[in-house]
Amino acid sequence: MKKLIISLSIMIITVGIFASLPARAQDTDVMTDEHIARIKSNCASALATLGQIRTNDALVYVNRNQSYFSISDKLIARLNSRLALNRFDTTPLAKIATEYNGALTDFRTAYNDYSRVMTDLVKIDCSRQPVGFYDKVGEAREMRQDVYDAIKKLHTIIDQYRQAVDTFKQQHLTKLKANTNE
Amino acid sequence: MSEDHSLASEPNKAWYQTRIVLFIGGSIGVAILLVLVSMALYVSSGAAQLDLSRPGYQSVQNKVDPSDKFKSFPASGTVNEATIDQFQKLYQDQVNKVTATDAFNPDVLSNQALGIDAPGADQ
Repeated sequence: MKKLIISLSIMIITVGIFASLPARAQDTDVMTDEHIARIKSNCASALATLGQIRTNDALVYVNRNQSYFSISDKLIARLNSRLALNRFDTTPLAKIATEYNGALTDFRTAYNDYSRVMTDLVKIDCSRQPVGFYDKVGEAREMRQDVYDAIKKLHTIIDQYRQAVDTFKQQHLTKLKANTNE
Repeated sequence: MSEDHSLASEPNKAWYQTRIVLFIGGSIGVAILLVLVSMALYVSSGAAQLDLSRPGYQSVQNKVDPSDKFKSFPASGTVNEATIDQFQKLYQDQVNKVTATDAFNPDVLSNQALGIDAPGADQ
């Protein structure tokens, strides 16, 4: 009886494993010959477009990285410092500043990862390796999405800081007006 | 005299075992190692991504925004209502420049945009 139960369990597990394999295979896209032929025929134009995107991305990154850093270094940090020197409570503003710097680091990391994938992508000869090229484009798209998300996060924090300054102004209006009259 | 001395001190060694060859070889080896280390740091630190003097990027090199264009807020001085107003205006002006345009939209890398989508497939 024991042997029968063990045999049945092994059989059920084996069937279960093999039954799940076709389901996984259905998840992955099977590339047709027409699709591969299309990638090969459009290979040169796709590589030219990717080259332009890569060059333009580098410029946008340099400018954005500089602007985002300047927002932190030349505006946020300076206001926080000035408020602290004047003995205001800057805890909420400092907290957002820390969060912003973390998001800026994430943006730089995401771009570096994306840039490396793009460098690998433009080196692939898509007329010889159409499937590998197609997969790499998908990977690059995901990496670009990460950069895009990092930018969205930075913009959200930028807006949060603006709102925090508004709140600060409302909370300390009496003291600020008193300082104006001095 | 000194040449005679050096030759006399290494009489039975092959040319590739002499001190001068080992010294030159060692120097080249150390130089290669240092170049590899510096290149690894250049790439891993993110400096490479900011370097537009690399081949292929010269066309956009002159389009980089100068950093001194960004107006900074004074870090010291009294704080009153006008100071905060001044900061808010400056902040909004600078922030608008980066938030107004969409960057790194993943749609530009879509299969359709690159012309590598499956024939007859709608993405």
